[in-house]
Amino acid sequence: MSVVVSPVRRPLVEGHKTYHQITEDLCAPTERAPSKSWIIAFIISVATLAYGVFCILWTIWMGTGTWNLNRTIGWGYDITNFVWWIGIGHAGTLISAILMLFRQRWRTGVNRAAEAMTIFAVICAALFPMIHVGRIWVVYYFFPYPNTRGPLWPNFNSPLLWDVFAISTYFSVSLLFWYTGLVPDFATIRNRATGFRKKVYNFLSFGWTGSAKHWQRWESLSLVLAGLSTPLVLSVHTIVSFDFATSVIPGWHTTIFPPYFVAGAIFSGFAMVQTLMVITRKILQLEEYITIEHIESMNKVILVTGTIVGVAYLTELFIAWYSGYVYEQFAFFNRAMGVYWWSYFGMMACNVISPQIFWVKKFRRSVFVTFFMSIFVNIGMWFERFVIIATTLARDYLPSSWSYYIPTWVEIGIFIGTIGLFFTFYMIFTRVAPVVAIAEVKHILKAGGDQYIGENAVHHHHDEHHHSETSHH
Amino acid sequence: MKLQDQSVWVDEKDLTQDPIFIEQAQAEVHPMSLESVLEDERSSQVESNRRDFLKLLGFGLGAATLASCEVPIKRAIPYTVRPDEIVPGIANYYASTFISGGDVLPVLVKTREGRPIKIEGNSKASWTGGGTSARAQASVLSLYDYNRVQEPATVSGDKIEKLSWADLDKSLMDSFATGAKVRILSHTIVSPTTKKAIAEFTAKYTNTKHICYDPVSSAALLDAAQKCFGERVIPDYKFDQAELIVSFNADFLGTWISPVEYAAQYAKNRTVHAENPKMSRHVQVESHMSLTGSNADNRILVKPSEQSAAIAHLATALGISSVPSLSLNDKAKSALSKLADQLKASAGKSLVVCGNNNLGDQILCFNINQALGNIGKTVSTARASFQRQGSDSDLIGLVKEMQSNQVDVLIVWHANPCFDTPLAKDFSTAMTSVKTRVSFNALMDETASMCTHLAPDHHYLESWSDAEAKRGLYSLVQPTINPLFNTRQAPHSLLVWSASPNINGDSEQAYYDYLRANWTQNILPKAAGASWDLCLHDGVCELPASGTAASFNPSLTEAAAALSKPAGTELELSFTESVGIGAGQYSNNPWLMELADPINRTVWGNYLAVPIKFDGDRRFIAFAEVNENGEMVDLTLAGVKTTIGAVKQFGQMEGTVSIPLGYGRTKAGVCGSDIGTDFFPSLKIENGYVQYYLTDVQVSNSSGKIEKNFACVQHHHTLGVTAVETSTGKTINADEAALVDDAFKPLTKGYQGSLTKRSVLRQTNLKDIKESLEHLQEERKEFQKLNSYTLYPGHEYKYNSGHHWGMHIDLNACIGCGSCAVACMAENNVPVVGKREVSRHHEMTWLRIDRYFYGDVEKPNVVYQPMMCQHCNNAPCENVCPVNATNHSSEGLNQMAYNRCVGTRYCANNCPYKVRRFNWYDFTAADLFPINQHNLNKETDKPYYAENLIRMVLNPDVTVRSRGVIEKCSFCIQRIQEGKLNAKKAERSLNDSDVKTACQTACPTGAITFGDMNNKEGVLTKKLENPLNYIVLEEVNVQSVVNYTMKVNNRDENLYA
Repeated sequence: MSVVVSPVRRPLVEGHKTYHQITEDLCAPTERAPSKSWIIAFIISVATLAYGVFCILWTIWMGTGTWNLNRTIGWGYDITNFVWWIGIGHAGTLISAILMLFRQRWRTGVNRAAEAMTIFAVICAALFPMIHVGRIWVVYYFFPYPNTRGPLWPNFNSPLLWDVFAISTYFSVSLLFWYTGLVPDFATIRNRATGFRKKVYNFLSFGWTGSAKHWQRWESLSLVLAGLSTPLVLSVHTIVSFDFATSVIPGWHTTIFPPYFVAGAIFSGFAMVQTLMVITRKILQLEEYITIEHIESMNKVILVTGTIVGVAYLTELFIAWYSGYVYEQFAFFNRAMGVYWWSYFGMMACNVISPQIFWVKKFRRSVFVTFFMSIFVNIGMWFERFVIIATTLARDYLPSSWSYYIPTWVEIGIFIGTIGLFFTFYMIFTRVAPVVAIAEVKHILKAGGDQYIGENAVHHHHDEHHHSETSHH
Repeated sequence: MKLQDQSVWVDEKDLTQDPIFIEQAQAEVHPMSLESVLEDERSSQVESNRRDFLKLLGFGLGAATLASCEVPIKRAIPYTVRPDEIVPGIANYYASTFISGGDVLPVLVKTREGRPIKIEGNSKASWTGGGTSARAQASVLSLYDYNRVQEPATVSGDKIEKLSWADLDKSLMDSFATGAKVRILSHTIVSPTTKKAIAEFTAKYTNTKHICYDPVSSAALLDAAQKCFGERVIPDYKFDQAELIVSFNADFLGTWISPVEYAAQYAKNRTVHAENPKMSRHVQVESHMSLTGSNADNRILVKPSEQSAAIAHLATALGISSVPSLSLNDKAKSALSKLADQLKASAGKSLVVCGNNNLGDQILCFNINQALGNIGKTVSTARASFQRQGSDSDLIGLVKEMQSNQVDVLIVWHANPCFDTPLAKDFSTAMTSVKTRVSFNALMDETASMCTHLAPDHHYLESWSDAEAKRGLYSLVQPTINPLFNTRQAPHSLLVWSASPNINGDSEQAYYDYLRANWTQNILPKAAGASWDLCLHDGVCELPASGTAASFNPSLTEAAAALSKPAGTELELSFTESVGIGAGQYSNNPWLMELADPINRTVWGNYLAVPIKFDGDRRFIAFAEVNENGEMVDLTLAGVKTTIGAVKQFGQMEGTVSIPLGYGRTKAGVCGSDIGTDFFPSLKIENGYVQYYLTDVQVSNSSGKIEKNFACVQHHHTLGVTAVETSTGKTINADEAALVDDAFKPLTKGYQGSLTKRSVLRQTNLKDIKESLEHLQEERKEFQKLNSYTLYPGHEYKYNSGHHWGMHIDLNACIGCGSCAVACMAENNVPVVGKREVSRHHEMTWLRIDRYFYGDVEKPNVVYQPMMCQHCNNAPCENVCPVNATNHSSEGLNQMAYNRCVGTRYCANNCPYKVRRFNWYDFTAADLFPINQHNLNKETDKPYYAENLIRMVLNPDVTVRSRGVIEKCSFCIQRIQEGKLNAKKAERSLNDSDVKTACQTACPTGAITFGDMNNKEGVLTKKLENPLNYIVLEEVNVQSVVNYTMKVNNRDENLYA
């Protein structure tokens, strides 16, 4: 394949990797015995998950009254966490779909992990709408299935029902996309494995042989799925935002919500990818595949989306003032200066102010700064949802009904439990699948390998004898 | 077929236990099995084998399905011989009278299948007009109170020995026989027949004396009436005939004497017509914010010990001579002088009442009324009230007698002197010197548990009795259920003990005979055209007013001697009576325990109200450094220290605090015990009268710690309380400034207008009514114009055919008494949830009464706003429910399908009025999971609502909601349905009187009107035409169908000038 790479592009694969070396490096984590740190981390994750499961069972068994929600504040930690996790998922889809359509080569270093993150985050998120209801045993009423009650259908006007469709679609497409990408890589592992492992991976790789026809169909499918996923990146969080935007509650009833939520979702998703990647590349020694270049690219996305979110916050404030509508004005006044001001300022500081340090190249390229920033952004985006949900509900139209909300240990336990769930899945994932997409990295080697481009290139990219190199094995 | 197992029979074969039938029935499926048919050799020879196979298969499946649908039936007992008047599913109403000491109300009792389930007012009673109080509404629950004493017994120490009535009678007759000194101690008794029984007992045992006291005493008022009018009665007050009402510390709308009667009268002159704006003026002179004070136009603040001085000042200003001059704060002085001028202007059309238990105060007030020419007009004795008869000195005398071992037998009659008097401690000690101590009390309370004999009385809903609440206004009490326990009516017991010849021991209903005989002899002859049956049907028997106007004896010298002197101490405390639980008589009724206090909105406890003021900058500051409601302070009363929660109280006079009595009971059953703190021991007796204030009071600064599970249903209390900012001299909305968190306090005085510009509350002064009306209509026009814009023109549902239900609430009539809230609980099976759950804002009330303070911070006015589901035509809750569990009926009702509800709470979030309630636990024990059921207070066996006896109060027409579903006001849909069916059966169209919601019928002032907005002749339609109406949050365009009338006050700023 002939590749034309701009001279300003920096290498995306470092260490003069050969194709074989890539296979070796990326398969290694699935083939060696788990390290001590992995085991400890895994135990912690599973223990946290177990606590979360206990708290969920406690909620179901004892009743929703074990949460501190009340007659005024019907949603708190539950829906905050739901929106937070859903938002986190968005980076994976954006990277794998939109960046693929835009031919962003740097996506290959992080797309696999990001997509995995999407799936795990959606699982965590989907848990909340299910367990926050009062009668989980009839939660199937949400689904439009033929029934003997009339038949009685769900209410197609309800944004919560739209959520059901949005999330289930999102989950299925993301899973499909992720697995499609995994098929050739599973085949690679299979080819190297023996015994039972070989059988398992043989099954998982669906009999992939690497024939040209396979590759051609695989490429087409990826493209189709990318096409399908692209609207999802925008639609899922748009629909989640409708939960609030279609209501009549001041602070929720806002037309800005769809773009603002989508930007926020991508923002928080990239932050979570950064958190994961910074740890993963270190522990699995993948610094040559997940390079500073990748980190910097993602930091740029964080800077852009963080700024979009910041503009949205300010727009909200402006519109509230400009509307001349007392309830709206008070809602935002109250957000900033009412009892929950600390969450508003937490949100502002973490989401709008702190990402601005990424205007400085040195910080964009600092692993240390990136890691802490990613945590900040995650906290900030959690606060954003808390501000929108709890602060708004706490003081709405009728002052007689104003209330205050702090979670119980059960609600906190469930939140921590989902983090445990997420990391349990993620850690299993790092053991069974290549964290970086082997096939796709090989695909961009000629255009991104540091032996081909950049200062240390030994081959110039216009060297003629490399033109026909296409094989990836 | 299988009903046999549950001892329920469906036909005669069931009943006769025919063995063949039973065998067949129990076989469930026909004995011929599919296999046997198929194996039968003959079957192969039969042509239609395949069809038989399918038939059998079909039958088998059907039978299996039917069998699996079977639900075990518990306790379904059909009538063998159906009583004439009972039709299952149809409610019967019986006229009766709610009596609890001096609290008397003619009522209708709704029974279903023989169970009383709801109390309604009796509109045939001219003096109440059919209103009810929260206490009367809740009384039906006390009937099913499983803490009641259930059998006659003797008690020695902790040992309770049950015995038969005959044995109890025998053992007691011995103690009476020897000419023993017997004392009967009761609260007020209004029943003439009961009094006759007491008289018979006294005649038999001549050494008997009946002593009567009231837990919150009106003895001074009675004694003053004795002195001034020559008769020891409560005069008849006519609030409806007064243009100017001045009340010295009398909470006549909440707790004083006959609040339902007074409220009905009061409201007549408080509702305003826009065309002809006129209303009475009400001035309250008090230190604490009482329910009555909260409804007043002006409040003049005087310390409790200055009450005499205030009354004396007014008397002097009105030209009454030889009244001593006592020191009084200047503000009050100037206000009272101005008030005197206004009173003079309304001579004959004013009314001065006084709630102080001070003879001098009461005599002076009668003199003031006399000077104003009110006696005979707004104050008279022709229809004198008998609702308070207690004498403090008699009670004191009794304690002395007991202390000197002079009493042989003490009969305690629904009185609880070991708790509800200041002498409780002395009484308990002295009581032990009495050899025989008999209790008629319903509960094993503080006093009953010290008695030797328990002779439990019926609940009033099980009793035959009568009442004469006011002179000539009789009403009857008839039983609505057979006695639940082995109890006997107290007067019946007395008659048995006195071996009265007038009681027929062999009769099935001995006391009924006695009552009827008394009526036939003494009461019915006086009433023209009345018969026993008619009186029983109507519940009331009203004789024409009689009696001549007594000559007025000023008794001013006695008054002057009795006036209290201002104490001059820094801090004074007033004791108040709780609107819900009274002085503790109603403590074991959780409906009343959870009825939010109208003023401070707390439940399940009593709290010290401390004054609040503005710091001149950004913050309200409360006395004793109380920052948050519920913070603990040390209260030292005459040297006795108690730690108690405090609430910041707007309207509480500086230099005073107040606290409700009646809490802190130790033996009041599972729901009443150990709630709050008892302050009866701190009450002082002066000149033989119990005083409801103290001057030796210290309050420590707040410890900053909030009482455990402090439960208050309203966190934000104001809507535009104004104060002057010291730095600029400008008047600002202080509550809006206070909404800003401390972190921003120096930066901003809040978003000014954030509360006052809301369309939640609309209020104005009578003199500004024109401008306010114009403003209101302009604003509403603007809202309606905005609301008319739509994305989908042509899709409005007009509800212009059939019924369209709506409601009107007159904020000028609503006094905040809470009877509607309790009525709603009773009617709709709304659970109470207990202190902890309310503290987490998990209360389930469908109807609440929001209370807002507005106006000047030191002298605020108050508005009460009953708030329930507004049944919006464009309901925001409906479109967000993912499963269609809440939807709109074709008659404009917003309905809940509980079975469909999954419990996302999305609807509750999206409700602008926050009236939707979620079942956080299984509050009514509706489900099969005991773990989700819930204790209210001190239940040991099982949760309150899980007791079958308590569950008998449930309204069978209303679904009991389980855990995890949302519920809310249904506009009493079961009543709508009943009304529609009644109209249909009568083949006529539905009219207003067919459907009245529970809140509407409970209201003593007629503030709530429900009806069909499409009925152009209806009362509702007429009320909806009032130009003062507004819709709460109209601009949100949810199209609520509940209209409120703008609150108009008649405040006179000049009084404060």
